[in-house]
Amino acid sequence: MSDEVRDDLKYTDTHEWLKLKGDTVIIGITDHAQTELTDIVFVELPEVGKEIKKGEELCVVESVKSVSEIYAPVSGKIVNVNEKLEDAPETVNEKPYDDGWLVELELKDKSEIDVLIDAESYKKSL
Amino acid sequence: MIDIVLKSPLNDIHNELGAKFTEFAGFEMPIQFSSIKNEHLTVRKSVGLFDVSHMSNIWITGKDAEKLVSLTTVEDASKIGDGKSQYTAILREDGTVIDDTIFMHLGEKYMMIPNAGMSDEVTKWLNDKAEEYDLCAIAEDVSKDYVIIAIQGPKSREILQKLTDTDLKTVGFFGCQYTDIAGVNCIISHTGYTGELGFELQITPPKMAKDIFRKILKAGKEFNIEPIGLGARDTLRLEKCFILAGNEFEGGKTPLEALMSWTINWDHDFIGKDALLKQKEQGDYQRLTYMECIDKGIPRHGCKVQKDGKEVGVVTSGTMSPCLSKGIAMAYVDPGYREKDTILEIIVRNKSVKAKVVKPPFVKKDWAQQN
Repeated sequence: MSDEVRDDLKYTDTHEWLKLKGDTVIIGITDHAQTELTDIVFVELPEVGKEIKKGEELCVVESVKSVSEIYAPVSGKIVNVNEKLEDAPETVNEKPYDDGWLVELELKDKSEIDVLIDAESYKKSL
Repeated sequence: MIDIVLKSPLNDIHNELGAKFTEFAGFEMPIQFSSIKNEHLTVRKSVGLFDVSHMSNIWITGKDAEKLVSLTTVEDASKIGDGKSQYTAILREDGTVIDDTIFMHLGEKYMMIPNAGMSDEVTKWLNDKAEEYDLCAIAEDVSKDYVIIAIQGPKSREILQKLTDTDLKTVGFFGCQYTDIAGVNCIISHTGYTGELGFELQITPPKMAKDIFRKILKAGKEFNIEPIGLGARDTLRLEKCFILAGNEFEGGKTPLEALMSWTINWDHDFIGKDALLKQKEQGDYQRLTYMECIDKGIPRHGCKVQKDGKEVGVVTSGTMSPCLSKGIAMAYVDPGYREKDTILEIIVRNKSVKAKVVKPPFVKKDWAQQN
């Protein structure tokens, strides 16, 4: 089994990916994470405008049997959430790096990005 | 004390088949193979194969075996003929359920199948009661001597028929008997926990089970049979409103509260009967209630149930229904809030999810034909 890891993204060791877009960052869960969770049937997203600190609960991803909290890998303000997931949570399984993204955050402290790991290191950790 | 996690004798096969494992009642068992949703729908529409070796096996023998079964369960065992099995409950004196179980009447003996991890407690209970009531009967825990596999789904009979000379149509619903399956003499019963056509096999000695498991998978290839984990086993039973001991009896529930009245034979004496009669008379107790979510959200074990902000119950089992694609739940709810179509609120992570009281089961018998 090989999980896809994209070179242009940053990662956490808890299987989130981050894509930098100027002052904001898009966050999702990795292909490995979605494979482990299987059958995502519900995604609870935060409210746009909410300020969130690194390590706080960002959203909740539920599979048939399990409830998984996703914690914010960086601090910031929620500027966008993937509302399509409310009706099609399975998109996280199907396209974890594209249409299955979770939230967009306005970064509060760019230095928090520096501690994230790159694709190479993430691949090794799997 | 060291916690020992027991492995099923079929563990090697599960590994080969790519299972993900979980610990359940002291056993390492597959939680899923492909995916819970996929396995679930495979059983509803075609056929699946389960290893349920974690369940317990107890032989009850002796000239008073029938009397002991009648005394310790809500069933009058004298009404259950040779070659029949019965779903029932074992109660404490106060009427609360120790365990729900199936017993099979096989000649002079009875085999009881209590839940996983219950073999010690139930065996001891049966032997204690035999002594207390001066009955000539012995309960013997033989869980380790048996592998239990279940083949469930509309195609189950057709597949199993390929491996036996016994006409399986002659094994009626809840019938049980000794039969050769793939050359091994097993106890076969027309029972299951999925609400679909299905059979369960009690295989001894355990080493014979691997070969049977593989042969059933091979025989089922034409119907795309799949191995099924405990994850789908749980969602399958929940859609049919079958109770799960660890969830629905938690904290001590009576069969009246758990809506098991239909299993009670009131015309015989059994341990717990007086307490049940008293409760029946009082009438004012929470009962299991079935709810379907209207809002998005998935109820889980422990979620509170409210009506207009007032707490009226608690969820014992909840999931996203793979067949209905909505949240479903079983909950103990106060009388007065259980009427069909009553709208209640289930509190999921501090958010209120609207749900409607429905009649069981959530998924009707003809679901597979219509979908």
